[in-house]
Amino acid sequence: MNRTFGALALLFILGVLLIIANPQYGLKFGLGGDDWQKYRYTDQYYIEHGVEEVGGTNIVTDVVFDYRGYDTLGEATVLFTAIAGAVALLRPWRRDEDGK
Amino acid sequence: MENDMGVIVKTMARATIPFIGIFGAYVISHGHLTPGGGFQGGATVAGAGILFLVAFGLNEAKKRYDKGLYSALEGLGGLAFLGAAMLGLSVAFFYNILWRNKIAFAGHPGTLLSAGYLPIMNLAVGLKVFTGLISAMMAIALFRRWRK
Repeated sequence: MNRTFGALALLFILGVLLIIANPQYGLKFGLGGDDWQKYRYTDQYYIEHGVEEVGGTNIVTDVVFDYRGYDTLGEATVLFTAIAGAVALLRPWRRDEDGK
Repeated sequence: MENDMGVIVKTMARATIPFIGIFGAYVISHGHLTPGGGFQGGATVAGAGILFLVAFGLNEAKKRYDKGLYSALEGLGGLAFLGAAMLGLSVAFFYNILWRNKIAFAGHPGTLLSAGYLPIMNLAVGLKVFTGLISAMMAIALFRRWRK
């Protein structure tokens, strides 16, 4: 019974999210005005202006390294932190060396 | 202690590791033209290193792994990425000034020497991912806690 209610609640939340996220009659967040769609849905802009503004014919690289460069910087930081944490956790500690 | 695999696996690894490395280098260096980029190519080159460790064993890999060199190369890759991002700091962070002002790497779109700082960033990120993954792999292989 509880699981059924949980599944129904999840479906309801999903439906509400779908209505909210619909570009036709959903919430308009971000910049106001009539051209809010232009600022929110930027994929067509990248496809049309990517080669001329950034230069790479691979639009994904244009987006990843130029338009969304901060995200890539954070990704490199995540990789560095993960490796530093792995090395710091896995290295032999002083307590392991004597006996046990 | 013998912890490598047999003759067949070692021979196949000798034959395939150069090709995996060449393919990874191609993916990195053509990251702004064809699918792929620094992350994917770096992971591919690191796959060659993992194949080396699996096929030839930990002792052989330990002889060829230099902790200081790999740490320095990873830091160099990260710093080159940040430096390429800071080239256009007079306008904005991550501003592709090499391409927009036609300073360097400003060939026709579709050629190898185009797209401004994208090849530099791809090389830097590829170096960083490769050395980082090799370091993580060697840490996991070297520092096992379980007893025989």
